[in-house]
Amino acid sequence: MEKLMTEQPFEQARVHGYKASIKAWFIDVILWSYTALIGYKLGYQTWYLQSRHPDFYWHEPLYALGIGVVLASVLSYSTCSVGKAISGLILFPEDRSIFRSASVRLAVFFIALTFIAGLHVSQVSMREFFSDSGLAGAQRIFSALLTPNFAIFEDALFAAIETVYMAFIATSLAIPVAFVLAFFAARNLMKQSALSFAIYCVIRFMMNLTRSIEPLVWAIIFSVWVGIGPFSGMLALFLHSVASLTKLYSEQIESISDGPVEAMTATGAHPIQVIWYGVVPQIVLPYLSYTIYRWDINVRMATVIGLVGGGGIGTLLMQYQGLARWNEVGMLVIVIAAIVWLMDYASAKIRAHLK
Amino acid sequence: MQLLQCNNLSKTYPNGTQALHDVNFTVEEGEFLVIIGLSGSGKSTLLRCINQLHPVSSGELYFEQQQLTAMAGKDLRRQRSRIGMIFQQFNLIPRKTVLTNVLAGALAVTPVWKSLLGLYSEAQKQQALDYLKIVGLEHKAYVRADNLSGGQQQRVAIARALMQNPKILLADEPVASLDPSTSHSVMKYLQKINQELGVTVICNLHFLSLVRTYASRVIALKGGRIVYQGAPGDIDEQWFKTIYGEDAVEVSIN
Ligand SMILES: Nc1ncnc2c1ncn2[C@@H]1O[C@H](COP(=O)(O)OP(=O)(O)O)[C@@H](O)[C@H]1O
Ligand SMILES: [Mg+2]
Repeated sequence: MEKLMTEQPFEQARVHGYKASIKAWFIDVILWSYTALIGYKLGYQTWYLQSRHPDFYWHEPLYALGIGVVLASVLSYSTCSVGKAISGLILFPEDRSIFRSASVRLAVFFIALTFIAGLHVSQVSMREFFSDSGLAGAQRIFSALLTPNFAIFEDALFAAIETVYMAFIATSLAIPVAFVLAFFAARNLMKQSALSFAIYCVIRFMMNLTRSIEPLVWAIIFSVWVGIGPFSGMLALFLHSVASLTKLYSEQIESISDGPVEAMTATGAHPIQVIWYGVVPQIVLPYLSYTIYRWDINVRMATVIGLVGGGGIGTLLMQYQGLARWNEVGMLVIVIAAIVWLMDYASAKIRAHLK
Repeated sequence: MQLLQCNNLSKTYPNGTQALHDVNFTVEEGEFLVIIGLSGSGKSTLLRCINQLHPVSSGELYFEQQQLTAMAGKDLRRQRSRIGMIFQQFNLIPRKTVLTNVLAGALAVTPVWKSLLGLYSEAQKQQALDYLKIVGLEHKAYVRADNLSGGQQQRVAIARALMQNPKILLADEPVASLDPSTSHSVMKYLQKINQELGVTVICNLHFLSLVRTYASRVIALKGGRIVYQGAPGDIDEQWFKTIYGEDAVEVSIN
């Protein structure tokens, strides 16, 4: 009891007001409900009752929530609360290890619980990993991969060239679009008036949305739209590149020095001239560097996109994998590794020279 | 002849800082007017209001009998091109040659599409080289501007301002980033274009010794208000303490 005294919610708790306390309570409710639900589904149904595929009912999380509310409310009178620790309502004494405080121990417990649940959900099984049939399978695929079928070398090479070109076209087409959009997405240029700031917000939002959808998903969308093949892959990479380059370019514009811009404005130059002479010379080198890096990324992505029918070497890989022709897959893996390594090396070299 | 007139000029920044309070003054053609004052007294703000880099909050501003505060767009740009400006940090275009930097002073009279392609007339190029000769840098025309020393960069900035063929040159602490001897060299070029080319100069300065050497008239700002107007020789001990505070000690640079 004596020890707990030092962990009393400190004086400022009242100054912090009820907002922090309410926030802490909500965090606690979520954590305890989560614990109750995992404990019931995993601990009781799966391990105690040994049921392999327990049914799910929507009343279960609701009961868990009820338990969470009760537990969080009861414990809100103690220092045994992760929510309070996060909200800054618990004072951690300097002279004592933080692992001796109840809230930190509780946090460790929650993390351990999640880890155990995670192992279960990902079906981690040492037995399967080291079983006889498992090891035989591993031996089969590795020996096939290590004896690649050089007969398809030519096909692999052409498919790889298709992939590199696809990435190149996607990057090239994205550059001018991103170049223009970046000026509208740069806060320092757009905060002048309410109208321009509204345009800035809309463009930022659209770009963030586009970027948060993986190119793989865009490739699936476009493969329905324009049919399976390099064109759909190219469109997917193009769209994603526009969004990424716009973000990188506009961040670069935001970090330029105002001096040349001010000087050009003072000469009586037109706004377009101000940008061309005051902004562009400050951003060309970083732009080039980003763009080459982007092409490098696009080559890797183009390979993955090929797996869902975006054309190039990825599509070839998917076909041979579907036929379980592992020697051919081995050949393709070697070509892909070589291309990725080469692009990585070249892009790093070029970017180093641009510094 | 009266070139510039400021009536009841006030400036409040969007964040609520009032940098200028009710400033009144006039500038005659050919003057070398120096503005002094502590850091934060509003000197830079005042210069930027004159060429409308910052819009004024209230008051009138007449340049060659034309109201500047009422102007926008093309009209404002045309008037701005008649007012040159140089800065403490020089503000040259990085990675470009000295000549390109000087030619940028002609942007206002060059069509946009031509300037995007860098197409300047032979006459303009010749003029740029002539102005470089005036500041003693004709041999550096094809050197990258960011490879020059601070004093040389400021002289390129002066040539760029001259390229605008200005009536007035605004100089915002032009020597504050330079060492003493370079400072004098740059000030001498400003004096030269004032006396030989007849360009009116309005210059913010920090050091009183430079003020005494170069100014034909002085305005002192304190807290955004004019506290002194007069000849540089008339600033005595008393005025000095009013402008810079009781504890200030005068230092000179030679
Ligand atoms: N862009 C700005 N936004 C808000 N306040 C500013 C801005 N520029 C200057 N100020 C403020 O205005 C006052 C005058 O600044 P300034 O004109 O730069 O003085 P000086 O050039 O004499 O040092 C200072 O208090 C400064 O903090
Ligand atoms: Mg200043």
